[in-house]
Amino acid sequence: MNEPRRLEEFAVAAEAETLIEFRDVGVILGGQPILQGIDLNIRRGEFVCVIGPSGCGKTTALRLLAGLLRPSSGTVLYRGEALSGPRQNIAVVFQDYARALLPWRTAAGNVALALESLGVPAAERGDRARELLAKVGLAAHARRYPAEMSGGMQQRVQIARCLAQNPDVLLMDEPFGALDAMTRQSLQDEVLGIVAATGATVFFVTHDLEEAVYLGDRVIGLRPHPGRIGIEETVPLPRPRDQLTTREDPAFLRLRRALFDFTKSAKA
Amino acid sequence: MTRLAPFAWRLAGLGVGILLVLLWQRIADARVIPAVFLPGPDQAWASLLAGFESGGLWPKLLATVLRMVYGWLLASLLGIAIGAAIGMSALARTYIGPTLEFLRPLPAPAIIPLAIAFFGLSDTMVLGVIGFGALWPMLLATMHGFAAVEPRLYEVARTLGLSRLGVVVKIALPSSLPDILAGMRLGLTIALILAVVGEMLTGQDGLGTWILRAARAFRAADLFAGVILLGLLGYLSAQALSLVESRLLRWRARAR
Amino acid sequence: MSGRRERGGGAAAKAVIVPAALLMLAELAMRLTGFKSDSVAPPSEILVAAFQALHDGSIARATGETLLSAFGGLAIGGLVGLIVGIVLGSVAILDRLFDFSIETIRPIPPIALMPIALMVFGFGARLEIAVVAFAAVWPVLILTRAAIAGIEPQLLEVARALRLGFGARVFKIVVPAILPRLFVALRLATGVAVIVAVTVEITVNPVGLGYAIMIAGQSLRPDLMLALLIWIGLVGWGLNFALQATERSLFGFAMPRARP
Repeated sequence: MNEPRRLEEFAVAAEAETLIEFRDVGVILGGQPILQGIDLNIRRGEFVCVIGPSGCGKTTALRLLAGLLRPSSGTVLYRGEALSGPRQNIAVVFQDYARALLPWRTAAGNVALALESLGVPAAERGDRARELLAKVGLAAHARRYPAEMSGGMQQRVQIARCLAQNPDVLLMDEPFGALDAMTRQSLQDEVLGIVAATGATVFFVTHDLEEAVYLGDRVIGLRPHPGRIGIEETVPLPRPRDQLTTREDPAFLRLRRALFDFTKSAKA
Repeated sequence: MTRLAPFAWRLAGLGVGILLVLLWQRIADARVIPAVFLPGPDQAWASLLAGFESGGLWPKLLATVLRMVYGWLLASLLGIAIGAAIGMSALARTYIGPTLEFLRPLPAPAIIPLAIAFFGLSDTMVLGVIGFGALWPMLLATMHGFAAVEPRLYEVARTLGLSRLGVVVKIALPSSLPDILAGMRLGLTIALILAVVGEMLTGQDGLGTWILRAARAFRAADLFAGVILLGLLGYLSAQALSLVESRLLRWRARAR
Repeated sequence: MSGRRERGGGAAAKAVIVPAALLMLAELAMRLTGFKSDSVAPPSEILVAAFQALHDGSIARATGETLLSAFGGLAIGGLVGLIVGIVLGSVAILDRLFDFSIETIRPIPPIALMPIALMVFGFGARLEIAVVAFAAVWPVLILTRAAIAGIEPQLLEVARALRLGFGARVFKIVVPAILPRLFVALRLATGVAVIVAVTVEITVNPVGLGYAIMIAGQSLRPDLMLALLIWIGLVGWGLNFALQATERSLFGFAMPRARP
């Protein structure tokens, strides 16, 4: 079902809209250069995964896109305009889900927070929130508080809240890092499903090389101190991806090997 | 069995309380301590009834309650507003915070002579002292609450495009509510104490004056009746606040 | 991290700027306008009054009277609170049975008992000690009870496994386990004791710092009144500080996680 869509996108590739552009971006924090000379173009609908050892600045790059940080040099462009602050159609999923949710609101209430900031009229909010929670499989838990939910469920609430913004861009900062392997895999597939349905552009930061290859259209590897782009690989695997077959695909294994070698050399 | 148990324990606790009252009665009857110092519960109860029937005790009770509540409400509004403003501003916290913390251990009653110098021995003075005394715990608690809001939530608010007012009302305030309520509880205790002290000093009509006069005239039964009323006042107001707190902080109780 | 060095000296300076500026402003304003009042005095006069009172021993004597009553009441109330707290903390059944009674007596404001003590003892130190004792019981009782109830069950199992006798169990396991929290209770109760003592003095008792401050106000000596006010604050702060320092040196290993 998604195959023709992908082909269509390839056909239009030459004219595919560049949604996000990093132009010679540098970031200096506390006197230390965190990022340097980052040049990157991300097309609309692309799923970009960013990997690299600790300290390579991948979270910093994400925060630039989130509008939570301004570059010290260079420009970050969104739709051709310099990004000056957070945008309502760029949604962020934080790694520490417990801290990113309001503990005093139910799951529905947390999702409603996004709807409130969008100005959705009060009468519609309840239904919309429940719809969004249903998309992440939490319809039955709408009235639960975050403290009553598992880590995986809390992360899904965060995702649902992001979907409420009808985002063009999804920024995900190691969203599944704190979860167990099984939850991680099911959430990976859920994200792929959501992205396929909405056509959102994704900037996905992760430590997990296999996750990066499994999810992405492109994998960017950063070298640390200061953060620079060290490797850029297109992922030629077909969609939809499958936890078993995709991971056994020789192209998958080849890419994984290449990224592993890169990470080792980058840490050195 | 487990459903019944907490209820049974409460009943048993009440039973123990009744036993203690009976013990008091026995000690009073035995006249081990002179009756002028320790009246029995029967006498205290009789005095209580007489006071209410004659109509003299109601206005006094009401006066004390109103004083306490007005002063406390005023202090709450000011304390929360100022505490919120200071708590949310890192600049204010750096420059003003330490001074406020330093003033914390200042006993509120010590302000009374100053208040008398300003307002004389009037009802305004009492109200002012109650308000001032109850202000500090609420201001400080609110300040701490607002300063301790999870920073990640502020970032979430920014990415969602929440307005400044929205951040205060939807994020900072609910986050600080446990601290604010704790401050309000402390403020209520202080308000009661200062109301009684204020009444004793100024002779304004109220329970404080009543028990002081009873003591000076050695009317022990009246005195004990008044003390019991004050204890009841303290107990009920604390319970009322507890009830409100448990409703507002429902989400805390549901943690896994 | 260039912010780090700024934090030490810079923060202290910033903390003092606003109050210092306000004091100087008040001083200048009152001096220049020749402001005379029965309720406020310029900071310089307050300082002078403070030194005078320190010099002629009046503050020392008043402080002594207040602290005598405060510590006296603290000793009595603290002991009662300690014993009852230990009993209730150790015997869960008693704890549950007496919970209702304790929760009904506790809310009685200590100052409400002052007339009773006045009737029995008349004016003087005993009046204050009695009221302070009642007030000091509660923080000690509640925190001791919590301390006993909060002893790691494993520690008691260790005691049983080692077949320690009752005495050894108490002194080698229980006491060291609860000592840090008892000290916190002592610190809090001391604060309560001083406040209650001063309150009783302000209300009726003609001794101590509370009485001194009332007299200063009535004699229309705002400088002395404010000086005494600041002094009372300093005494309270000083006691708290000293106890906290002792706490840290004795029990550094058991530092409470949350700061009040």
